[in-house]
Amino acid sequence: MGKSLVRVVLRKELRETFRDRRTVFSVIISPLLFTPLLLSMIGMLVTRQARAEQHEVLSVGLVGGEQAPSLQRILSNSRGLRFEAVSAADAQTRVRTHDLRAALQVPRNADALLADHRRVPLKVLVDPGNEASQRTAQRIHAFFEERSKRLVAQRLSKKGLSPELVRPFDVRDTRISGGGSVAGLMLAMFLPYVLVLSSILGGVYAANDLVAGEKERGTLEALLVSPASRRDLVMGKFLTVAIVSLVSSLLSVVGLVLPFWLQPPGMSWLARTELTLTPLALAAMLLVQFPIAILGAGLLLSVSTYARNQKEAQSYLSPVMLIVTVVAMLSLILKAEAPWPLALAPILNAALALKQALNGSLDPTFALLAVAASAAYASLAMAFATRLFQQESVLLKA
Amino acid sequence: MVAIDGLAKSFRDRKRGEVRAVDGVSFECRPGEIFGLLGPNGAGKTTLTRMLATILQPTAGSAQVAGYDIRREPEEVRRHLGYLTGSAALYERLTAREVVTYFAELHGLSPKRAANRIEAVFRTLDIEPFADRRCDRLSTGQRQRVSIARAIVHEPPVLLFDEPTSGLDVLSARGVVRFIRQCRDEGRTVIFSTHIMSEVEALCDRIAVIYQGKIAAIGTVDELREQTGERAFENVFLRLIGEEL
Repeated sequence: MGKSLVRVVLRKELRETFRDRRTVFSVIISPLLFTPLLLSMIGMLVTRQARAEQHEVLSVGLVGGEQAPSLQRILSNSRGLRFEAVSAADAQTRVRTHDLRAALQVPRNADALLADHRRVPLKVLVDPGNEASQRTAQRIHAFFEERSKRLVAQRLSKKGLSPELVRPFDVRDTRISGGGSVAGLMLAMFLPYVLVLSSILGGVYAANDLVAGEKERGTLEALLVSPASRRDLVMGKFLTVAIVSLVSSLLSVVGLVLPFWLQPPGMSWLARTELTLTPLALAAMLLVQFPIAILGAGLLLSVSTYARNQKEAQSYLSPVMLIVTVVAMLSLILKAEAPWPLALAPILNAALALKQALNGSLDPTFALLAVAASAAYASLAMAFATRLFQQESVLLKA
Repeated sequence: MVAIDGLAKSFRDRKRGEVRAVDGVSFECRPGEIFGLLGPNGAGKTTLTRMLATILQPTAGSAQVAGYDIRREPEEVRRHLGYLTGSAALYERLTAREVVTYFAELHGLSPKRAANRIEAVFRTLDIEPFADRRCDRLSTGQRQRVSIARAIVHEPPVLLFDEPTSGLDVLSARGVVRFIRQCRDEGRTVIFSTHIMSEVEALCDRIAVIYQGKIAAIGTVDELREQTGERAFENVFLRLIGEEL
């Protein structure tokens, strides 16, 4: 019996795989270039929109304002709101047709109520299905909130009383030093998703190429007639896919984190506060990635072995990819502090453990259970791929 | 040396039920001999060579290749075997040298011996001018030469050729035929499977005519001519498989 040929197979497969433009693109170029670019673009759009909204003047209909000149004087001081006199009937239709953002309905006796220091009922006509209308209503609310405070202060001081009389508490937030950041929160949400997805999907091209591709091109038969045992061959190929998956997920993380550190234009919205990845979070990330990459490699290689050619492998893979994507998306929705049975859910468990680590709320029992379960699934997938590779009916299917 | 005794393989097919692709084949092939397997498509030639190459498990019978049993010592069999089929392809993204080196390594050749062997084989087959070009840039004839180099880099005593000239032009095919003859002259055992009469006539020392998984006749070209009383080899073949002329 000769020595193991796994290394010989692995070296050749890696060399060949990284000469494949599809793999190089999806594993290296896309995460390192396109992820930051995409984030940057989203950032720029969001910033620009926020700025535009700030300077935007919103037109609001005013119903019944003619009889209340004092109230109108107050309204004329509003910033970002332009009031336009309309009839009650017009107000409804013009808000509905988006001609007006919203409308303010003022009672006939508004001025009298104001003078008597009584409460003035104001009605805001708003279209709940229109975002701009909602925003305008909010701005009207904020405007009157601020005016109310000022008016109360004036009235109190006229009577020689302090405004503090009606505001007994003053509540303000202060940021603690060394705490998490908004950026960190975003990362804790997106990283598990990106990581899970990239560590399974990153190896797709490599896996399809390695067995289904060899069948399709007619190179597999010669390989099977070489002295290498089936086990050596499948192990070499399996490790290749696992390595490609790992590289893919690592680079995806780098691509996602890099913009936070480099702060290119458009990223300032996320990177205003400093981002720190704790050593624990980093360790958890690596610990979680390994079993997922191995599980993914086993899964992908099984499909690739079973399929007759790459096209067939692709179609077998589409339900697998759908499931993986949905599971990864679940990790976006579910809270990090999950009940322990979820630690047994393949893929999702890893994503949740990772989320905990990034949140700083790592539950050791959950994490250990998740890693153990993932390792068990990974070895199952690996064993299945190996079994499949031993069957002549599967390998020589034409 | 290859000795086959009652080798059989049956498949289960969904439409046709039990299919006996190879049905009790026995023959012997000696060193320094080119043994031809002649039969129409679907006769069982490929199944037979694949069993000898240990990538298909026989359902009955046994065979020895270079003294090793194909069931009990498949890895030793593969170590002493050179295998080339017409449908064989190369790794497109590797260079010719990388492909042949890979197979040398799979056969456990030391780096030094591999380098020497590759140099020698590349010289014989005139591969050197394009040795470092990627295989997807090679012509069909060049690829076939690299495939041959891949199959013999470990100096196997037994060679299996399954329709090695299919898809080749006359010049490239002649190169392959010349190479097979050279293998015999070096004292190797060569099994050559084909459906092309002229190749069999020109090349083979002995021939087994295979039809429907069974051997219809075995002998030299002249013996088979005598047996059937036909002159043209195509007619010899048709007579042997029981067809009317």
